[in-house]
Amino acid sequence: MRGKQLIFDVLEGKTVERTPWVPYTGAQIANLKGYTAEELFKSADKLYECLIEAEKQYTPDGMPAIFDLQVEAEILGCELTWYKNSPPTVSSHPLSVEFEIPTQVLKETDGRIPLIVEAMKRFKEARPNIAMYGLVCGPFTLASHLRGTSIFMDMYDSEDKVKELINYCEVQVRELAKMYVEAGCDIIAAVDPLVSQISPEMFETFLAEPFSTFFAAMKEINMPSSFFVCGDATKNMEPMCKTKPGCIAIDENVDIVEAKKITDKYDITMSGNMQLTIDMLLGTQQDNQKAALVLMDNLGKKNFILAPGCDVPFDAPAENLIAVGQAVHNPEAVKIALENYVAIDDLPEIELPDYDNLDHVLVEVVTIDSKTCAACGYMVAAANDAAKDIGIDVKVVERSIMYKETLAFANKVGLKNMPSILVNGEIRHVSLIPPVDILKEEILAAKK
Amino acid sequence: MSVLTEMSEMLQKGKSAETAALVQKALDEGMTPQDVLDNGLMPGMDVIGERFKNNDIFIPEVLIAARAMGAGTDVLRPLLSASDAADRGTVVIGTIKDDLHDIGKNLVAMMMESKGLKVINLGNNVPPEKYIEAAIEHNADIIACAALLTTTMVHMKDVVSLLAESPLAGKAKIMVGGAPVNQAYCDAIGADGYAPDATMAAEKALELMKAA
Repeated sequence: MRGKQLIFDVLEGKTVERTPWVPYTGAQIANLKGYTAEELFKSADKLYECLIEAEKQYTPDGMPAIFDLQVEAEILGCELTWYKNSPPTVSSHPLSVEFEIPTQVLKETDGRIPLIVEAMKRFKEARPNIAMYGLVCGPFTLASHLRGTSIFMDMYDSEDKVKELINYCEVQVRELAKMYVEAGCDIIAAVDPLVSQISPEMFETFLAEPFSTFFAAMKEINMPSSFFVCGDATKNMEPMCKTKPGCIAIDENVDIVEAKKITDKYDITMSGNMQLTIDMLLGTQQDNQKAALVLMDNLGKKNFILAPGCDVPFDAPAENLIAVGQAVHNPEAVKIALENYVAIDDLPEIELPDYDNLDHVLVEVVTIDSKTCAACGYMVAAANDAAKDIGIDVKVVERSIMYKETLAFANKVGLKNMPSILVNGEIRHVSLIPPVDILKEEILAAKK
Repeated sequence: MSVLTEMSEMLQKGKSAETAALVQKALDEGMTPQDVLDNGLMPGMDVIGERFKNNDIFIPEVLIAARAMGAGTDVLRPLLSASDAADRGTVVIGTIKDDLHDIGKNLVAMMMESKGLKVINLGNNVPPEKYIEAAIEHNADIIACAALLTTTMVHMKDVVSLLAESPLAGKAKIMVGGAPVNQAYCDAIGADGYAPDATMAAEKALELMKAA
């Protein structure tokens, strides 16, 4: 089944044939093409290029077009500090001294909206079967961007004004959401990390109304919606459900099994909650696959979308996301491969090829399994394309870690991540698929 | 209800003017400033800390309670000797280089102050060397580093290395915290302590100083 339809079915409460997978890839995809985060977020061309590459490698059913909660704030007067390895952060708050409700209305020509909309339109056209998520900053977080952290005190000292500001922000992000819908988004998410920092009573007082309005507006135009939160939002699960989003997305600070019992009562889909740091950033492919399999086993195939807890860290290795895609698309094969890893002390003895005395160039592509892992398939295809018509004797072999011998091989050559390419025993490319001409040059250079 | 109990309750409700008035009343009744601090204000803040740790209350409630605590200590400050505040130890705190998030770090600072620690707050985007300079200047017992981003927490390791080469090596301890940080990361970079929330951070600071 096509990814987008799978997500629509889940959001409609149907039991599906497999769990859908939505990597919240933001700044991280800049790595796939060697860009900085700042370059990615400021260029429609680069954003589009990286989206296409991420879709190719991570095999998602849906993905956000951009994950940057500062787009609206920048237009409304916040200064941003830019980084090469993370989304920008807000460094000044226009309402920090004079707390006046702004009158500015977001327009489609403002700030970075034109470039985002352009990238969305192009991605939609190129990959119509992927559910494209349009992410807007949640009204509470946007209000805090504008006012600064004193908004927390204001909630006691100037209740009406804070309500007015949050409601103003909701109107703005609703307008932006409509622009994203026009650009082809299939689902709109309001991302409000600060929701976890207030009590259910405060939620009721300040956020119940604007979020209900927002999700009702999406429903009115038949647009699926999601409510993203970060941090320990356990106590706000029920109040969030009452605002009637189609889906709630949480991170690892919330016990997802318990939280799903609440969302199930409201027939709301749950999305989450791969660990961002321990697994996605610092873990191995196997750690990520194990985590994905546990989540899929625990949460089932109804009202559940597998996703990272939040925006994937910039330095999270691409191979970890590739590995999760593999676990989603072929869980049984991955379970076998993981069993092989468990038996790592019991691997067969193998002999490496005599690389120094080969009468040909040997290109070894170490994969999870090229038949079921898209990135692996592309890696094998790149090797075959490079070897084709090159005019010298080249052999391309695939070694899948579905076999214990390959695991023993990987251990012996010091290879930790797949897919990878070795040329005459030297590790040349890990995870990222090389351009064919570069690989061709490496093969020619390796000929004795 | 005793004046100290009432003071604690007003503080917990974030009533600044009432808290300050009750501090004055307690002093007028002949209590010492140290008594008022130790048995009126601090127990109130301890309740706030405990409820925050248990997720019974959230950031806005802590901030207004801390403001009431501040109103109370403003009355006491001229009466307390300058050395009292530093007796329990000194902490240099800041959000690490390239990271502009400071809500959590400020909460930690407040909780530490409410435990009687002297806190030097360096703000956000603090370069590793600045923590060490400030720690030397104030003869700090603890250096506390906060990070909200996975991309900035890596700079915490530099603070650990710089401290090891400084005159405070072996004396000052390093604490780390923030959303992406955990005990495993703390251990991996060789920091001395980690706490998952502001209340536990203050407790951890006292524990580290006791162990020193």
